[in-house]
Amino acid sequence: MRLTCRLGPGGSVSVVLGLALALLAGPTLAHGVADKDAAFIQAHPGPQIAAFIYLGAKHMVTGYDHLLFLAGVIFFLRRLRDVALYATLFSLGHSLTLLTGVLARIQVDPFLVDAVIGLSVVWKALDNLGAFPALFGVQPDNRLVVAGFGLAHGFGLATKLQDLRLSADGLVENILAFNLGVELGQVLSLSLLVLLIAAWRATRAFRPAAVAANVLLMTAGLLLTGTQLAGYAFQGPA
Amino acid sequence: MDDPHPVRLSRAQLLAALAGALAVAMFVLFAAVIPAEFGRDPTGLGKLTGLDRLWAPREVPLKASGEAPFAHEYPTGFRTDVVEIPLKAVSGSPADFQIEYKVRLKKGATLIYQWEAVGAPHPDDLYVDFHGHTLAARGEEMTVATYRQANAPALRGALTAPFDGIHGWFFQNGALKPIVVRLKLAGFYELIPAGQPGNEGGVVANVPAGEARPGF
Repeated sequence: MRLTCRLGPGGSVSVVLGLALALLAGPTLAHGVADKDAAFIQAHPGPQIAAFIYLGAKHMVTGYDHLLFLAGVIFFLRRLRDVALYATLFSLGHSLTLLTGVLARIQVDPFLVDAVIGLSVVWKALDNLGAFPALFGVQPDNRLVVAGFGLAHGFGLATKLQDLRLSADGLVENILAFNLGVELGQVLSLSLLVLLIAAWRATRAFRPAAVAANVLLMTAGLLLTGTQLAGYAFQGPA
Repeated sequence: MDDPHPVRLSRAQLLAALAGALAVAMFVLFAAVIPAEFGRDPTGLGKLTGLDRLWAPREVPLKASGEAPFAHEYPTGFRTDVVEIPLKAVSGSPADFQIEYKVRLKKGATLIYQWEAVGAPHPDDLYVDFHGHTLAARGEEMTVATYRQANAPALRGALTAPFDGIHGWFFQNGALKPIVVRLKLAGFYELIPAGQPGNEGGVVANVPAGEARPGF
């Protein structure tokens, strides 16, 4: 924020730019697993259960794209049972593509996967605003949609995991550990999101702010999508 | 299950929200993200906000190794130069006590060098980073090779350039008094005019240190 405010003519849009910078710890950074983690994996072949659990959880907790989508999914859910239902559907979707993606060595361009993930945020924000019945006259089944976007998020996870150039030694154990870590990270971040939104919902400001929050969510999703498409146009496919 | 859609906007409200979100996202994308992260500025907004200055080429380190023939022949002329670079004591603006001085080399061209820190009280007062890189156009990657990083009072040797580009030294004076770096060069290189990449400090070659940086 401080950075953008100093930049003269851009100062008036500093709020928006601040949002952009918060979303963009650098598109390349957001992409891969950190270099030091990759170096560790290279240096320690074979099963590394604890390390992969940690990496999976870290990826989920620090992956703002996943977090934005989850925030959208649970935004209007009040019962823990519903939260658990959608979280399970999302997990089923991404576990399936994560496991098959890595085992079958399916490489999808990370920019395109992340663009779809950005679109998933847009979709969910639109859905929260009741857009599909109003604009198209149909309400899609959100359980199917969430599971479907889970598949896309899983391809993202699979692509990032393959960046580590996993050795065949201990491959299955390591993927399962990574997947377990992703679920743990998801439980962790979901608990926090549910608590925060529940506390917010109890206030009188929630109702009017809910619309603004979902419009912001949609904006963030569009920006994520645009950034990844720009990355695809300018830096990929390698 | 609760009503998953307690908020229902009208068609017009939804279209306005979507248009607004799209406009803001596109503006931030073209005014900030694309200029700062990808080095392109199709709308000119990046220049207006100054955010295009945040872009830097992605650096691709080059591991210089491999077998090269021991004898080389070059189409370019042989030259020698003596460059005296004054550096102030370590305080105030970094531009006063550190500098980059590079020369242009074609791939495979050889540069023989010798430099010494004149007037430094301790042998480790001068930090040097001897490196080279390609000159990347906006949006391109930049190949970088690091040859030597050290605190040393003097070093001498030869470099055969691994790629077309600018190759040379970053010098940083760590002493509490001014010093002069005296650099002798010989080989198949070109000096870089003052102000251009590699000689932003505006160093003039083949003159005494007192005249080597006009206005310094």
